Amino acid sequence: MIDVAEAYVSVDYDHCSYCGACVAVCPPDCITLHDATLMIDTAACTLCRRCLPACPTGALSIVEADA
Amino acid sequence: MKSDYDVIVIGAGPAGSIAARTTAQAGLATLLLEKRQEIGSPVRCGEAVGLETLVKFIQPDPKWISAEIDAFSLSNPQGDCLVVPPEEQTLMLERKIFDRELARLAAEAGAEVIVKARATGLIKKGPGIEGVRLNVQGQPREAHAKIVIGADGTESQSPRWAGLKSIPQLKDYYTAAQYLMTNIDVNPRICQYHIGWSLAPGGYCWVFPKGDKKANVGLVMWVDPKEKKTAIDYLNEFVAARFPDRSILSQIVGGIPVTNVLPEMAADGYMAVGDAAHQSDPLTAGGIGPSMCGGSLAGQVAVEAIKAGDVSAKFLKQYERMWDAQWGKSYRRLYRIRHALLKVPEDKLSHIIRQASLLDAQTLSLKDIALIVMKSYPQLMLEVIPYFLGQ
Repeated sequence: MIDVAEAYVSVDYDHCSYCGACVAVCPPDCITLHDATLMIDTAACTLCRRCLPACPTGALSIVEADA
Repeated sequence: MKSDYDVIVIGAGPAGSIAARTTAQAGLATLLLEKRQEIGSPVRCGEAVGLETLVKFIQPDPKWISAEIDAFSLSNPQGDCLVVPPEEQTLMLERKIFDRELARLAAEAGAEVIVKARATGLIKKGPGIEGVRLNVQGQPREAHAKIVIGADGTESQSPRWAGLKSIPQLKDYYTAAQYLMTNIDVNPRICQYHIGWSLAPGGYCWVFPKGDKKANVGLVMWVDPKEKKTAIDYLNEFVAARFPDRSILSQIVGGIPVTNVLPEMAADGYMAVGDAAHQSDPLTAGGIGPSMCGGSLAGQVAVEAIKAGDVSAKFLKQYERMWDAQWGKSYRRLYRIRHALLKVPEDKLSHIIRQASLLDAQTLSLKDIALIVMKSYPQLMLEVIPYFLGQ
């Protein structure tokens, strides 16, 4: 089990195209897309991982703080 | 921008602009919001549209048509190719110009159109909705309205704000990528579909010509947590094998819900249209025509609701019934077909395409295809037949 406090979804801005594919599948609605900014509310994120395979460019990953 | 309107439409794509035009034409004070600085950009679309649906809303104009399509081809990864005439005349659009024209028509009908105006939430009062919280060119603003129409696209948040269940299951979501490519040799009047799970798992690749040796080359694939490669990875493999001399003019990516529309598309004072309502075709994910229909129907219902002084969910649910009458039957069928196809192994799919490609395309009928499927993979027929007979 990953502890919410010790892991978070990280955005690789070299790959992110700000398309919003991740926004649509996020159950807690914790991803916000502005023109060229993708923000993830890590406190609301449940680390459900649905956004990871939805991303067409593979820009999202889970980073574990201890790893 | 004023502070009070009859209708606020969030999003100036085809669904939103048609909705705004419909309400403005009926004399309602209408505000059409676009979060981006430019309507029509970035293009997030394969850009093919059937003429029959299109002409209900706008007369074709060469300035936003990039190609006319005579036929569709269906290929397997081995290169066997079945060419069939389209069910209806098909056009390739120049969405950047097309979307702007639709918004212009909404403005001409009397709607106020503003860009760089992002909805940040709905203003609620009791169960109903009073308006939209906005960020307009960096400034927080509020605009009030009797009805809000959410046309905010695949990444929409307005349906959730209105309390609708809008999060697709991953099995009903495509992840997608497309290049606008040039310097490629393709038949300028044939839209190509390439089907094979090794090319695009759970989806397909397309090559849609746009004239001048240009084409939209893209793919949709399913969202699979076990998948190691991304949509862009698969697209790069597809183009590397087929278009060695290509140059890429633009790259777009995105997600497309293919759920067969939201279970509820209306709430108190609110209706969702277009991709926000998951109105893309649940097999191919084509959505321009259906989205314009969705926008038009929601616009018509908004006009009636305001005339009747009743913007309750109960009244606005007329919109859902009107949508279902036009699209429900075919969408349920297409949804079933996609899920039935997903179970067919790639070699069987390839065999079906190969066998069909050997027949005379001019006389090829649905019956011929059914016979080939019966011989190659009868389970597929068994899954699909009930939905042709029953619905």
